[in-house]
Amino acid sequence: MRSKSFNITLVVLAFIIVFFLSVPILKMFIGVGSEKLLITIKDGEVLGSIWLTMKVSAWAMIFVLFTGIPLAYLIARYDFYGRSFIESIIDIPIMIPHTAAGIALLTTFGDTLLGDFFKFFGIEFVGTEYGIMIAMMFLSAPFLINASKDGFRKVDVKLEKVARTLGANPVSVFFRITIPNAKKDIINGALMMWSRGLGEFGAVIILVYHPMTTPVLIFDRFNSYGLNFSAPVAAVIIGISVVVFLIVRFITGKLK
Amino acid sequence: MSYLNIENLSSRVDDFLLDNINLEINKNEYFVLLGQSGSGKTRLLETIAGLNECTGNIFYRSKDISKESSEKRDVGFVYQDFALFPNLNVEKNIRFSSKYKKNENESELFDDIVDFLKLGHLLKRETEDLSGGEKQRVAIARALYSQPKILLLDEPLSAIDPTFRNSIMKSLKDIHKRYDLTTIHVTHNFREASYLADKIAIIMDGKIQQIGNAEDVLNNPINIYVARFLGFKNIFPTSLLGLDSTNQFFSVDPNIIKVSTSKSIEADYIFEGFLEECMGVVDHYKLFVNINSYQFFIKILKRDYEGCYADSKSIIKIGFDKKDICLI
Repeated sequence: MRSKSFNITLVVLAFIIVFFLSVPILKMFIGVGSEKLLITIKDGEVLGSIWLTMKVSAWAMIFVLFTGIPLAYLIARYDFYGRSFIESIIDIPIMIPHTAAGIALLTTFGDTLLGDFFKFFGIEFVGTEYGIMIAMMFLSAPFLINASKDGFRKVDVKLEKVARTLGANPVSVFFRITIPNAKKDIINGALMMWSRGLGEFGAVIILVYHPMTTPVLIFDRFNSYGLNFSAPVAAVIIGISVVVFLIVRFITGKLK
Repeated sequence: MSYLNIENLSSRVDDFLLDNINLEINKNEYFVLLGQSGSGKTRLLETIAGLNECTGNIFYRSKDISKESSEKRDVGFVYQDFALFPNLNVEKNIRFSSKYKKNENESELFDDIVDFLKLGHLLKRETEDLSGGEKQRVAIARALYSQPKILLLDEPLSAIDPTFRNSIMKSLKDIHKRYDLTTIHVTHNFREASYLADKIAIIMDGKIQQIGNAEDVLNNPINIYVARFLGFKNIFPTSLLGLDSTNQFFSVDPNIIKVSTSKSIEADYIFEGFLEECMGVVDHYKLFVNINSYQFFIKILKRDYEGCYADSKSIIKIGFDKKDICLI
């Protein structure tokens, strides 16, 4: 009897949160209607912003794959001075307001010495795709780095040691043993980072208003033309995000 | 110089120190490193394999290999939990080294190992689907396929069902001979060591306590700590026997101590004490007899004595001969 009432309580509480999480999404599609959705999908500005958002988020993800995975491996495998500090730094972007992150990025890479340094190499962060990329990377990298770190920690260090005795050098061990056995977490983290990057708004809008990413476009249309013009764009990006999320779930479910 | 000569080898991890290890291992020797959990035996094995930072020297065929990377040493390693690569199936696990260590008879060697270890039907299986014994055979096959000269076995029998241990111990001896190996086998089980070892080293707290041929080490412990670890019972000061010896302690096997409550005993050393406890266990009794505040442990067969030997607290005589004591 006690167990039954406990189970009912669990189901009721779970239903409440599922309601709040799912209804706004469903309402978005139902409220917009198929006709407006079709028009929006054919809208060049919308398609351009979606492509830009997906592309730049992928760049940010690839950049962190090359730089964040080595960092994650170092943290997972070695006990070095300052490790906890670096782990805290990685987590900071998750905690701070995104607009604050945007301001921090602007004061670092805007009209500053560091900004000028990058300009020397033709890389400018204000009003460019590089700016969108660095904003997305700054706020989404923890998803990939932390997932990779967890993945590496799950790989028994003895596998790497045995591989060494079998003739593999450290680089070969990393690519033949460590990465393949941590791949589920790495791919999961990469896709989470990418899909999280798609939704980045607060930091992007401070660094780069134009070219417009989809979240900025939604905001712009809402501000300029109201709900009727912004809701279809929101529905399209939500649809894409849902599809991406389902793909993430499918791929990680299939991996060993 | 020996085939493998380890000189003043030390390695530190956190608070644990592998301290000044010196070993000489001959070609084709089955060398057992015996020690309790946490004594540093796996650490020593890994250091020999080049997997840990160390000071000191390791000479292999008179060449100092202590600074060489692990992949350049002729060692094969089998871990206690086998450490099979989960991302590769059985065959790919075994063939892992083929990319790095070329040999002309790869195919013959592979077939021979697979046939000898009876792995033919498992080649396409995933490693997670294997039993403990199968995993062990795959791990050994993988090590053998890399054609090591020295095989390092880290507690290879501890994860194996006890029913199969004897047959696997025999297999390990066969593998050692068949593939012309020098084997270093780490274990905490001195029975395993006594069956397999040509030579034994006892390691405790990162230090080698005793080294010698198997029979000598197992029967003549060098100190009380080794004796206790090797399962010696009834370890008491030699002063109890009235011996004027350089040895501080003696031990006597619980199975050969004679006991009596009434009759006189014929033995070199006879003591009288009181029985503290008598426990009946399957086919024998365990007696705990207090002699001058020292508790002797004695095992007597049930078929030789009816009922528990004596009532608790009763006076009892025990005796044993000089030839049966082991001086420590």
